[in-house]
Amino acid sequence: MKNIKPRDRPNRRQILTMGAVSGIAVSLGSEAESSALSQSATMPKIEIARLEDLALGTEINFYFPDEDSPAVLLVLDEQVQDGIGPGQNIVAFSSLCTHKGCQVNYYEEHKMLICPCHWSSFDPAKKGRIIIGQASSGLPQITLAIENGSVHATGISGLIYGRQTNVI
Amino acid sequence: MTEKSPLPPKDAELFSTVCQFCIVGCGYKVYKWPEGQDGDATPEGNAFGLDFTKQQPAFGTWVPSLAHSIITQSDGRYNIAIIPDDDALVNSGMASVRGAGLAASLYRPDGPTKSRLSTPMVRTSAGAKAANWDEATELGGRVIKAVMDHWGADAVGMKFFDHGGGGGGFENNWAVGRFFFEGIQTQSVSIHNRPAYNSEIHAASDAGIAPLTNAYLDAQLADTIVIVGANPYETQTNYFLNHMIKNLSGESISSKENFLSNEEFDSGRMIIIDPRRTMTVATAEAAAGYENILHLQLEPGSDLWLLNAIARVIYDRNWHDIGFIQNRTEVQTWEAYQRSTLMSGQSSEEFLNEASIKSGIEIPDIIKAAEWIAKPKASRIARRTLFHYEKGLIWGYKNYENIASIVDLALMTGNLGKPGTGCSRLGGHQEAYVRPKSNTGRPARNIDEALRRGDIKVFWVAGCNPVQTTLHANAISETLRERGRIVSEALKNSLHMPVSEQVAAIIEALKQGGIFLIGQDIYPTATTDLAHIVLPAATWGEINMTSINGERRLRLYQKFMEPPGNAISDWKIMARFARALHKLYSADENPEMANRFLDFDWTDDQAVFIDARHSFSGNYDDPMEGFAGVDYKILHGLGINGIQTPTRLINGALTGTERLFEDRPFSTPSGKARFIPAPPPWKGYAAKVEKQRNNHRFWINNGRSNHIWQTAYHHKHLTYYNERAPIPYLEIHARDAEELGIFSGDLVEVYNQVGSVQAMAYLAGSVKQGHCFMLFGQPRGAIGKLILDHVDPDTTIPWYKGVWADVRRIGQSPDLSKNISFKPTNFAG
Ligand code: FES
Repeated sequence: MKNIKPRDRPNRRQILTMGAVSGIAVSLGSEAESSALSQSATMPKIEIARLEDLALGTEINFYFPDEDSPAVLLVLDEQVQDGIGPGQNIVAFSSLCTHKGCQVNYYEEHKMLICPCHWSSFDPAKKGRIIIGQASSGLPQITLAIENGSVHATGISGLIYGRQTNVI
Repeated sequence: MTEKSPLPPKDAELFSTVCQFCIVGCGYKVYKWPEGQDGDATPEGNAFGLDFTKQQPAFGTWVPSLAHSIITQSDGRYNIAIIPDDDALVNSGMASVRGAGLAASLYRPDGPTKSRLSTPMVRTSAGAKAANWDEATELGGRVIKAVMDHWGADAVGMKFFDHGGGGGGFENNWAVGRFFFEGIQTQSVSIHNRPAYNSEIHAASDAGIAPLTNAYLDAQLADTIVIVGANPYETQTNYFLNHMIKNLSGESISSKENFLSNEEFDSGRMIIIDPRRTMTVATAEAAAGYENILHLQLEPGSDLWLLNAIARVIYDRNWHDIGFIQNRTEVQTWEAYQRSTLMSGQSSEEFLNEASIKSGIEIPDIIKAAEWIAKPKASRIARRTLFHYEKGLIWGYKNYENIASIVDLALMTGNLGKPGTGCSRLGGHQEAYVRPKSNTGRPARNIDEALRRGDIKVFWVAGCNPVQTTLHANAISETLRERGRIVSEALKNSLHMPVSEQVAAIIEALKQGGIFLIGQDIYPTATTDLAHIVLPAATWGEINMTSINGERRLRLYQKFMEPPGNAISDWKIMARFARALHKLYSADENPEMANRFLDFDWTDDQAVFIDARHSFSGNYDDPMEGFAGVDYKILHGLGINGIQTPTRLINGALTGTERLFEDRPFSTPSGKARFIPAPPPWKGYAAKVEKQRNNHRFWINNGRSNHIWQTAYHHKHLTYYNERAPIPYLEIHARDAEELGIFSGDLVEVYNQVGSVQAMAYLAGSVKQGHCFMLFGQPRGAIGKLILDHVDPDTTIPWYKGVWADVRRIGQSPDLSKNISFKPTNFAG
């Protein structure tokens, strides 16, 4: 009998074994800052990028508030709710889907964050609100601040998937 | 940080339940613990035994905010956390967006659900006044009796829920059926979403086939799944994600290896027959690859042409299963079907050309669908095809033949009673039908018409909202308002009189054309707002109840909290009224009538369940719901996977039915299935519908959506759901919108000669030009306001999808639209 390989989509088993954070581009602050994060009991503050490096369409993957919590910064092409920067178009979100914790991907074509597991989709231009799908909250939004020409992550609005508190 | 999810402590009470919303019936665990006694983040400190000082992995357990609520009971305040059950075969620990918010939908006197009805009320033209149960029952019971005595039983009308899940269940359905069919014995009855008391799939039952034939496992085993007029990603979510998608993506290959050892197999394919390109189409393509999904975007009302054309291709190429036809069907019906429906006397070319023109589907796609359904595998073994259909077909034009056409396809291809096959509704709500025989005839009486004619003097509405959601709802609304006003005035003038004089005044008002309206529900609705007596019902979580899901899985839904105030379960309400009528007729020395209302003295939920169980014999004659031999203790022991009905006792052992018609005969006297003629009735649309179609530019398709359950009765109170669709939305094609100067987020009016609805425009790639889509039951503007009163004359089932209207821009709505995303809802990356 023919034995067909599963089509190319993460299944539950693969997701459980691949872990939550492998294989994404990382742009953390310094080594010292990042290791301090995971031990911190309070919300840390980290530098994500220099403002001058953030062109339209930029996507930066980083971790916040600790190494187990992937997040994504986006530079959108319109002024949006809670956007920062001169164009009020810089936003960042937790990348862990609030449905079952798979990591969302950014689709430039429609400027949507979409989960590969069950296709919950989120709108970064509307504070990470759900577009359609099974997630029961929007993506937690990372509070950003600009200091000395750099964009920093300083807080989170909404609870990160799989946590009792955002800072653990 | 303010964001903190409460954790149940080790000693939290644990209950098992099933989601109250869609037909899929996902399993959930309910944790309950006193306020202020949360567990902690250590594995020893919480009921999950998990270490919340660390990030939980994907597919782990946590408590998102909608999964938690704080309720108030007579002995204090409690936390409730409702989490999907990993052990449930249906959902394997996954929540849909609706189930994820079960906790948020619980009654909270200090929260968003505080408007729940909590005490009986009597309403006069001077306003509503709280009453106690005795007062409400006495008044209502006396009015019902007086109406029966004056005008006969058929002057007592009803429109009631008949479903499982929230607001329904075998217990409540049984009590309702006993009251109306054994007690009142009225024929003026109707089911929650339609103007009559009738099956939505008469043709399937005439063929001997139950509504729900397959196991969910079959969707993992099928070679091809056919979906007609349904959108399972959004509305049967975890059946789609946890079973169908596993097949499409190849994840269920190992199951196929176990079950299908002597034939070749591959990852599954799917045919989706739907005028819209929905999220179901997009996600199926993402999982299976574009080449394994066939989406047929047919024109409205042409289902029959398309399905019969597919059948004709199968017939012409000899792909039908002659062995199955000879052994399991009444062969003479097959012969008649070839002539009446497959038009065996007509050339294939002519047949397909006509079908293609009517349906808008190219002939090569019709042939491809036939191949995917029935072209034998290389080894000559028949393909396993699972057919599913729902409202697009049921509420299409025309109901009886539409259902016949898909049932016939399943029969001719032998796709019943084997793993990976079936022919079933996808379903909306859960099921739990058990009632004494109704004798409503066929076609069933159209209650909306009887109401408008004034034949019905008392109208009792429970768990539904016909003021908004029936055909030509404005007309029903006006009827109830105007006729009701006469009674409201009489009630006001007699309010302080003895009840007998009050009733006399009401009867006088009824003689003047009035109507006495009883509204029974869990929230105030546009219908209870007009009711003279309002009866508050308990619901899911507040009672023990039982229901079956889309694969007939019967489980116990445990009670874990008190209902609000004086609300009681529907069965208790029916029992109260039955006892009142028994007493009144006994006092009249009318034992014949009094005896009709005997034996409504159940002591608890299980007593009703057991009483209803006597309807079943435990043999092959039982309907798909049959639960012979089952009681609550057994269900409790079976846990979240319960047992699939119908049940039988084989040598004393309780045995469920994974899929119907494996060894079980079909439900006909011969035990063989029947082909049902399904010739296209196409002489054009019904005259009044044709007129509407000619006068208006857009076809207004309508249905359910992912986020809003039914009429949004819970979800309109919960911000997360409500802000996705605070008013009806209208999906419209970008080119049509451009011509009308409409942008996403604009307020528009959808109007025709029946009525008008205001909606928010949503420019969407889901609909074809000339087509629009809106929600069926959005409380701020339901399709009922736009639809004519046309029904299938053979079944009294409405063609709810048959609405044409014009659209015009009203203006911007920045306040309403600012929190809404207008990005595509059918894009899966
Ligand atoms: S994990 Fe993201 S949609 Fe399910």
